[in-house]
Amino acid sequence: MRVDEKTKHDAGTPASASAEPAARTTAARPRKRRSVNREGLEAGRRSTRTLLWILLAAAMVLYGFPFLYLLFTSFKTPIDTIAVPPTILPREWTLENYVNALGRSGVPASFINSIQTAIISTVLSLVLAVPAAYGITRYKTLGGRIFIMAALVTRMVPPVAIGIPLASMMGSVGLADTPIALSIAHTTISLPLSIWLMSSFFEAVPQDLEEAATVDGCSRLGALWRVVIPVVSGGIAVTAIFAFLASWNEFLFALLMTAIRSQTTPVVIANFQTQFGLDWGSMTALAAVYSIPVILLTLLLQRKIVAGMTLGAVKG
Amino acid sequence: MRISDRRFALFLMTPAALFLAIFVAFPLFRLVADSFFKISPVAGGPRDFVGLDNYFRAFASEAFTGAGWRTLAYTLIVVTLEFALGLGMALLFTMLGRSSQIWRTVFMYPLMIAPIVAGLLWKFLMIDNFGLIGTLLHQAGILDNPNQIGWLSDPGIVLYSVAIPDIWLTTSFMCLVLFAGLQNIPGDLIEAARLDGARAPALLFRIILPLLRPVIAVALVVRGIDAARAFDTILIQTNGGPQSASETMSLLIYRTMIRFGDPGLASAMGTIYLLAMLAVAFFAVATIWRPGKDT
Repeated sequence: MRVDEKTKHDAGTPASASAEPAARTTAARPRKRRSVNREGLEAGRRSTRTLLWILLAAAMVLYGFPFLYLLFTSFKTPIDTIAVPPTILPREWTLENYVNALGRSGVPASFINSIQTAIISTVLSLVLAVPAAYGITRYKTLGGRIFIMAALVTRMVPPVAIGIPLASMMGSVGLADTPIALSIAHTTISLPLSIWLMSSFFEAVPQDLEEAATVDGCSRLGALWRVVIPVVSGGIAVTAIFAFLASWNEFLFALLMTAIRSQTTPVVIANFQTQFGLDWGSMTALAAVYSIPVILLTLLLQRKIVAGMTLGAVKG
Repeated sequence: MRISDRRFALFLMTPAALFLAIFVAFPLFRLVADSFFKISPVAGGPRDFVGLDNYFRAFASEAFTGAGWRTLAYTLIVVTLEFALGLGMALLFTMLGRSSQIWRTVFMYPLMIAPIVAGLLWKFLMIDNFGLIGTLLHQAGILDNPNQIGWLSDPGIVLYSVAIPDIWLTTSFMCLVLFAGLQNIPGDLIEAARLDGARAPALLFRIILPLLRPVIAVALVVRGIDAARAFDTILIQTNGGPQSASETMSLLIYRTMIRFGDPGLASAMGTIYLLAMLAVAFFAVATIWRPGKDT
């Protein structure tokens, strides 16, 4: 629930709109036969709750274990990594895999490429999506409706279908194998999503706000920039995270459009398989280094992310 | 000298529209155009117009029809399991209420992991000889031999095995969306049904699921589209093998284009694939969603 309360102040999420009054009315009602007075679906009986907690614990262990095993494996010695039978915990904790993985030529450069590509793509997505989403939601024109439908349809385009033509287009303007070309490709994925998300956030801003601003002598563009944008800054942050993640984790375009200069880390991770035989130890270490920053970042910002993920879908 | 609101809206949308036109619509146009040509894989090589020949070749090839069915099966496996698990977790979190909030956060961590990493990780868990899952099942006495199940090497089950990372990655998404939907169901309604003597299954199938219908529709369509495009996890786990048993449409198109060097045929496959996805998605939205009904 707290997730919803928080985001309401940022930009408003429709998800919480009807849940809260319901919570208040039940809380005010006198206790009934249930041992604890709880709302709707929440289980009341202590035995049921204990059982549910056990279920949750089991689910969490099963769900969390694979990644923990990846971490444990990354601390094993290279030989132990492929020991038969495998052990869960390392027999001997060592950083050898990390040293091997990060010391390999091309790996540090691929991190820089990944960061560069993701940042350019995020900025590009926001610069294009924010005005477009505002135009769609504030002025309900026919063109706007058609445009948002078209943007949603592009979500269905399989990247494999446009990857090759896109790569040859980039080649013909001299951008082959550059982070710019790849970030443009990544933006084709994140832009429709960003427009969709930003539209939901703008929808929640009352129209009086910029009307007041225009009466005070602001131009429409000025009202957007000085009045509306600050109000939806939370929404912009959510959209930025999604755009960043989409690019950071993308693999297929990176595989099709980069060679050596602009290779991103996911491609390098995949290449470990063929190029160097099966070097599982280094591969797990590199995968851990690549995943942990985004996991931590997103856990820190989780409220905003949950809001963003559920926004479009719940609204229907 | 104010320009009209319509012009202003157009002005705001133009940059994004131009971007999508140049970098999505134009490559798609090239894809469709290429599908009518026989193209030499060598740059600057010959390019002969062959009409619908590539389409005939695609439908005549067993690889293509096989990949089509496998893509469909894969999508159904992923979406069904994700929906069942996601709904279960969403109900669990709802029934535990606010006190489970922190676990809800932890539960979404796989969403941040790159599909390529997830595929690698599960390959490592399921691989023959030093895979942990076989070993644990053997130690628990369920399997006689750690290699009894060839998760990724038995053509009969590999399509299920390669789906696991995808399910693991995005069950959280299903759960989040369904959880948010559950919060919108008024508590009074559930309470009233309980007082009328509704038991858990009736509560679930008669009240909760019908009320969640629009949310479920969006979640299924969004995830269905993603699953039908799956590439990274399968490529890194099996590369479509063994014996093409896990070769879905994305992989087949990729291999036709890159490995077999037949861009014309690959373009025809891509065009058919895109049209099929559009058709299925519109059909799904129209039938499951039914805006205005049941909600």
